Amino acid sequence: MLEELTVGFPILSCILFLPVLGAMVLWMLEDEDMVRTSALAITLVELALAVYVLLRFVPESAAMQFTERVRWIPALGISYHLGVDGISVLFVGLTAFLSVLVVIYSWDTIRHQVKLYLMCLLALETTTMGVFVSLDLILFFVFWELMLIPSYFLIKLWGGGAERHYAALKFVLYTLLGSVFMLVGIALLNINFHQWASLHRADQTYSFDLLELLAAPIPFDQQILIFWLMFMGFAFKAPVFPFHTWLPDALLEGPIGMAVVLAGVKLGTFGFMRFSLPLLPDASKSETVVTVVVILGLCAILYGAWMALVQQDFRRLLAYSSISHLGFVVVGLFALNFQGLQGSLLTMINLGFSTAGLFFIAGFLYSRQQTTQLASFGGMAKQVPLLATFFLIIGLASIGLPGTNGFVGEFLILLGAFKAKWWFGAVAVLGVIFGAAYFLWYYERAMLGPVGKAVKSTMSDLQLREIVIAVSLSVMIVWIGLYPSPFLRIMNGSVQALVDRLNHDTVAALESSTIEEGR
Amino acid sequence: MTFNLAISFADLLLLLPEIFLTCWLCVVVIVDFACPRIPQERLAFLSVAGLLATLGCLAWFDLSHVSGALFGNMFVLDRMALFFKIFIVGATALVILTSVQYVDRFAFFRGEYYVLVVMSALGMMFMASANDLLSLFVSLEFSTLGFYVLVGYLREDLGSNEAGLKFFILGVFAAGLLAYGISLVYGETGKIVFSDMAPTATSGTIIGFLLIFAALGFKIGAVPFHSWIPDTYHGAPTPVTTFLSIAPKGAAFAILLRIFFVALATFKPVWVFLLVAVSILSMTYANIVAIAQRNMKRLLAYSGIAQIGNLLIGLAAGTKMGNDAILFYLLAYLFANIGAFAIVIAVGQAIGSEEIDDYSGLNRRSPFLAFAMLLFLLSLAGVPPLAGFIGKLYIFVAAMKEGLYTLITVGLINIVISMYYYLIVVKKMYINEPIDPSPVQISGTMKAVVYVGLAGTLVIGIYPQPVIDWVVGATVMFANFAGPSAVVTPPVPPFGG
Repeated sequence: MLEELTVGFPILSCILFLPVLGAMVLWMLEDEDMVRTSALAITLVELALAVYVLLRFVPESAAMQFTERVRWIPALGISYHLGVDGISVLFVGLTAFLSVLVVIYSWDTIRHQVKLYLMCLLALETTTMGVFVSLDLILFFVFWELMLIPSYFLIKLWGGGAERHYAALKFVLYTLLGSVFMLVGIALLNINFHQWASLHRADQTYSFDLLELLAAPIPFDQQILIFWLMFMGFAFKAPVFPFHTWLPDALLEGPIGMAVVLAGVKLGTFGFMRFSLPLLPDASKSETVVTVVVILGLCAILYGAWMALVQQDFRRLLAYSSISHLGFVVVGLFALNFQGLQGSLLTMINLGFSTAGLFFIAGFLYSRQQTTQLASFGGMAKQVPLLATFFLIIGLASIGLPGTNGFVGEFLILLGAFKAKWWFGAVAVLGVIFGAAYFLWYYERAMLGPVGKAVKSTMSDLQLREIVIAVSLSVMIVWIGLYPSPFLRIMNGSVQALVDRLNHDTVAALESSTIEEGR
Repeated sequence: MTFNLAISFADLLLLLPEIFLTCWLCVVVIVDFACPRIPQERLAFLSVAGLLATLGCLAWFDLSHVSGALFGNMFVLDRMALFFKIFIVGATALVILTSVQYVDRFAFFRGEYYVLVVMSALGMMFMASANDLLSLFVSLEFSTLGFYVLVGYLREDLGSNEAGLKFFILGVFAAGLLAYGISLVYGETGKIVFSDMAPTATSGTIIGFLLIFAALGFKIGAVPFHSWIPDTYHGAPTPVTTFLSIAPKGAAFAILLRIFFVALATFKPVWVFLLVAVSILSMTYANIVAIAQRNMKRLLAYSGIAQIGNLLIGLAAGTKMGNDAILFYLLAYLFANIGAFAIVIAVGQAIGSEEIDDYSGLNRRSPFLAFAMLLFLLSLAGVPPLAGFIGKLYIFVAAMKEGLYTLITVGLINIVISMYYYLIVVKKMYINEPIDPSPVQISGTMKAVVYVGLAGTLVIGIYPQPVIDWVVGATVMFANFAGPSAVVTPPVPPFGG
């Protein structure tokens, strides 16, 4: 059902391995400025490659594009299979884009072990890219797990907080706990395929290939089991309420650069869209699953927003707002209609600009005040007008003001949610109101009003590098807000294919059609 | 039973590796005594040369598919035996390389250390080929005999003496159990060759096999037969610990595979249950206790017990695929464990300590050692794309095909637990400040062993296909194994109906 478009040149492999090869080059360099310049160059080349892929991508198509396939471990059916479709290609661009900004941001904020830091960042970029472009579940899992190693070191070695050791360990163990369950789910998919293949094709093959697994129907009770196993993996990573407790710790204790990637690139929810929904359509649309997951999503929206309202620390506030936004994404995904899925996908991308952007703002504040506690802010707009302006722009995008990207995504999600069940939408709308409340209230206390006592009088406004970051984020925010159709066109084909797959009546129908094809 | 003891020259060819190694052993002893002033490194390299020649011979056998049986099926040479012999000889060669500097600590040292190591290896090579109860007993005791001496080799050191004594008493006790088990089984069935046995479930055979299993469980150190492991590993000279943690496990698994799949094929539902229990106990107990360890050798001892638990998952699957996975996992374990122990030895030589706290800031003192240790520990934990991950995946897929979900769940939770204590070491190496920032120097031979470990861990992890082909070929004797399945997996009905 899914065609593949291949090009001769293995551009995805280049995208995948350029950062890690670059990290090795960095290892050999001595001079710190040289290291920084090279890291920037590597991420810029990476961004150029990603933009090239985006430009050459055929929109309105459900096909996997730029695919590459090499058999890796045939005995277990593992292959090196890369490809992007409308669901994943935007994430490739987003990751490359954020990596450039993180390198720019880290230019003068990271002072010790610069080389190791940048190497970890580049390794993180490779693994993140790997998650998005892998079409083989084991390959995907490899990158999913490998991501933990650079993240662990980033939080531990360059984190600012006193609790960073605890946060790093918690992050690794939580994610690992989720992913071992996911691995069982993946293995079950493989075994199911094996049984199906030996019945229908009379060959004893194993496969972990997404496209091949999609062809093998799965009995309903198996689907439910696999769904929950994979749910554990994605929910811990995303994180979906109530598996979120590591996130505030990791975001608060880790360095800003890490927080940007962790909060900006929504791997967990991407996993739902990439694997859970298409592979397990019947489980995904079964009454229980939808109800449970959506209720978790709604809880996350309200809980996250409510918690964000009372936070004194800006990074903690962002962590909870992140949880709240993920709730929206989950509700949109499990509305299981075109608008919901499209809105979720767009929101995931949007959060890459807005949440990540706010983390950059938090970083700017941190480098001026050495803390992100509210007590040390107040009336800062007078001293740092540029910072305050960008803070407002990105923040408004995050709460979904019309004209910014956040509005388009949230609107589509709410539309989808109302279409699915009216009360999904009704509860989710409350989240929008809370969202506006916590952000605007915090902004008012931090930036407006009388100048706070702790605010240094010598504070300087944004510097060139910081302006570059803020402007490029704002451009993306306004672009998607005012003219989202290029982005929507890219994702439409794949989202439509996903909806079609979900709307197949039963597995039996699918089964009979494949048998007929076989004859 | 008729014994045909007339041996032709062609038959003896099957014994060529063992005969060659025996002769070489004599050469090493003679050289040692004839030239008292010979530097001990030369003796080490002489032994390694003999082992490498044996390895070459074994590889040649494997490539040319030499196989056969000798002495009325007491001794078989099939592809599985060859796999295990290559495993054992390779491990032994690496262990000798790690000992080159370490032996300076031995008082009154002479070359007999190397002789004892190679002799144990010889015993284990016979274990890999043992095909009846007698050769099982003889070869198992033969290989353990060398270890009794080796474990207590640091004669000035109380810990080493204690380790030697514990190992000896418990080892002899296990040997007693084994002998008793063998006599019961023989009494009931009247057969000693595994393939002729076809035992029925009488109380004699059941108790007999349980005793044999207990003795082998002692050998591999599975819970609840593990109590000797931590103290023995801790007290023994570190190269001996390395040896003990790798080679005998492989040899014992060769025996376990033959007993379970050949002699006890009809009892599969029973032993699957037994293995599941032992596997769960081993993983859970060892991983939890490992968290509290402060000594690197003890940590690796417990992690080794946990790894045995993982291997038993593959055995419990009771299929050819499970056995492939075991062989594969053993190789992954070999490289990661020998690498980790080599680093323990190297660091121990440089700073005179094996406490985990003294690994603080290893990254500043020797980035290479710290990075290698990181990879070895991650491979033991099963992080992709290292060898340990593929091994675990292979084992889990094999077990899952048989529907052993409880076992898998426990195994997976244990991965998370094990990650915790491996990360403690990683944290010490990378995050903590070194107490003494002077660089750690390591010798060329140690470096070579670490490189071999790294190469194995990475290559098997990234490109495992040739190794998988090899292990699949090695277990070809189980291809038609069709014991009564423990869990009957019905063919999945066409969906929807």
